[in-house]
Amino acid sequence: MTWLFSQAVVSGLLLGGVYGLVASGLSLIFGVLRIINFAHGAVMMLAMYATYWLFVLAGVDPYLSVVVTAPLFFVLGVVIQKIVIEPNRAAAEHNQLLLTLGLALFFENLALVLWQGDFRTVKVAYSGASFMLGDALVEVTRLVASGGAVLMAVGLFAFLRLTDVGKALRALAEEPEGAALVGINVSRIRAASFGLGSACVAVAGALITPFFYVAPDVAESFNIMAFVVVVLGGMGNFVGALAGGFIVGLAESLGAAFLPGSLKQLVVFVIFVLVLLFRPQGIFGGSRER
Amino acid sequence: MSNDTTTRIGRRRFLTTLGAAGAATLGAPAFVRAQSREVKVGYILPVTGPLAFEAQLALNGLQQAVDEINGTGGIKSLGGARITLLAGDTQNKVELGNSEAARLIDQGVVAIIGPFSSLVAFSVRQVTEKNKTPFLLLATVADNVLEGGLRYTFRMQPNGRAMATLTVGNMLEMAKASGTPIKRVAMMHEDGNFGTTMGNHVEAFAGKMGYELVQRVPYNLRSPDFTAELSKVKATRPDLLVISGYYGDSKIIAETAAKLHIGVHALVGLANAAYSNPRFIAENRELTDQLFDGNYWHNPQSPRARAVFEAYQKRFNSVMSNHGVQGYQVVFVLKDALERAASPDREKVRDAISKTNLTDHILTQDAIRFDDAGENVNASPALLQVQGGKPLVVGPARFVEAKPVFPVPKWKG
Repeated sequence: MTWLFSQAVVSGLLLGGVYGLVASGLSLIFGVLRIINFAHGAVMMLAMYATYWLFVLAGVDPYLSVVVTAPLFFVLGVVIQKIVIEPNRAAAEHNQLLLTLGLALFFENLALVLWQGDFRTVKVAYSGASFMLGDALVEVTRLVASGGAVLMAVGLFAFLRLTDVGKALRALAEEPEGAALVGINVSRIRAASFGLGSACVAVAGALITPFFYVAPDVAESFNIMAFVVVVLGGMGNFVGALAGGFIVGLAESLGAAFLPGSLKQLVVFVIFVLVLLFRPQGIFGGSRER
Repeated sequence: MSNDTTTRIGRRRFLTTLGAAGAATLGAPAFVRAQSREVKVGYILPVTGPLAFEAQLALNGLQQAVDEINGTGGIKSLGGARITLLAGDTQNKVELGNSEAARLIDQGVVAIIGPFSSLVAFSVRQVTEKNKTPFLLLATVADNVLEGGLRYTFRMQPNGRAMATLTVGNMLEMAKASGTPIKRVAMMHEDGNFGTTMGNHVEAFAGKMGYELVQRVPYNLRSPDFTAELSKVKATRPDLLVISGYYGDSKIIAETAAKLHIGVHALVGLANAAYSNPRFIAENRELTDQLFDGNYWHNPQSPRARAVFEAYQKRFNSVMSNHGVQGYQVVFVLKDALERAASPDREKVRDAISKTNLTDHILTQDAIRFDDAGENVNASPALLQVQGGKPLVVGPARFVEAKPVFPVPKWKG
């Protein structure tokens, strides 16, 4: 049975990396804009279609396609922020929530109209690649996605610490009025953060596509867990989000291996409720002074 | 205006003459007959929305059957009446199913075919029963859809119970014949209504059919990873892994099982949405080779079924899949009933359907007959195995077109 345990741990970590990957952009957008972005998964779905079509029509490798999709989705994010969200900044919080939910519905149905409900897959030479780590199977494509999640978390962290735009983002997240007073163009920074969050999820979509499938409702597989991960990690804390991703992935995988039936998600949500009860700021949240 | 009147009189006179040729002096019945030279049949399918692709396959089958009937003299007992298909789109939603059915009934259809989802069927059957309109189920597997003393609802295809027990039975029989009997069975199924129903039957029949269910894993359709579940299955060393799922989950399960060297004699889909789906096979040639699936199919031993299969392939440029076969055949069940009823009256059509005894069909079963509940008593799925990129019938024995590859070498650990 030890191999079952090690297999569950390995696949849990790989799955957790994927959750962390999807969650990082979400966490960023929440941290700066204080918006719970329900359209996040739908944007990822669009990015997966972009990856798919680049592969099918132009033969671009899914991993290389981020060079195109990340800037493209940065622009899309900026446009969404400028046209849809910025004009409603003064609106009540639940209205903004409904706004992003509406956007998600719009994107999903748009994809249905454009590409029907078909499942599409990207077949690359390395799709089936795997190796054994001890007696546990490691799928290369999932490993790349998890590695991407770690890189992205580190990169975002460095960006926020070391660059002027990053510092402006943090200033805005912590003290919007103060940031405006010292001359930061807050509306531009808000647009940049939505753009950056969308670019992150576009990268996530590109890394997921080689081992998954593309369909209009594909985000449903990751959406809820991404929100759980963001809350676990502390809203707006994406290093926390990555750690939260690993916790959720491990809980799900070990639950699947050792609990009967489809109880695995129960484990995740029990952890979720416990965290909300005893540490509502998230396991890794709360260090920030407000 | 005057022009219009002249044509109308002209047409009426023409038809009267035609009728007179057959019915001597009876002018009036001939006129009635002329009015019914079109028979309206309605379908309600999720032609847009998430099931659009599958629904289109069924619709292709319907269309092919209708065109074949209309091209070979229509409904003869109704004076060669042509069938007109009226469309209804459910988008896989209950409320749309109801309203579309009601609209079609208002437009005077003799029967309604559809609706794919069992959930939609549960609701629509109340509309059709209330309006005394025959309702021919298509791709609806839930066992209890026909419960509650329905009079107008019929199901040609196998229900969940027949699907599960006959598929596992076919597998056991095939395995025995090839000298490697199956004793230990593991089952993975999605945890919704469809998968759970299948899982319950496979569990309930374990003792009776002489196999042991060593592992049963219900799973969430939306789960992005099944490695842990499949490792758990592998640990119980089953001979056979049965999978009831939809498209995306079934794909990831087969891929992961291959990478894990799952170590079973075979992987078999049970009414699986992917494993005999032509698109899935085309996109995953290596993965799908030698996969089994229990599903409804055409009978490769019947010359007529082969001709229909080839005509479909030519017209739609794709393999006639399970839904296409059912769509095609259900129209001919209705045609047979209309011929015998010799009337477009819904009550008479209903009575004719209930007395169906159709041997000239394209399915892998004996005569199509309905019991009092409306179930096809002989309904039976075929056992398919993908070989060379094509699903071929490998069971039951009297329908086989290819020798099964069993045990499948690639699943061995």
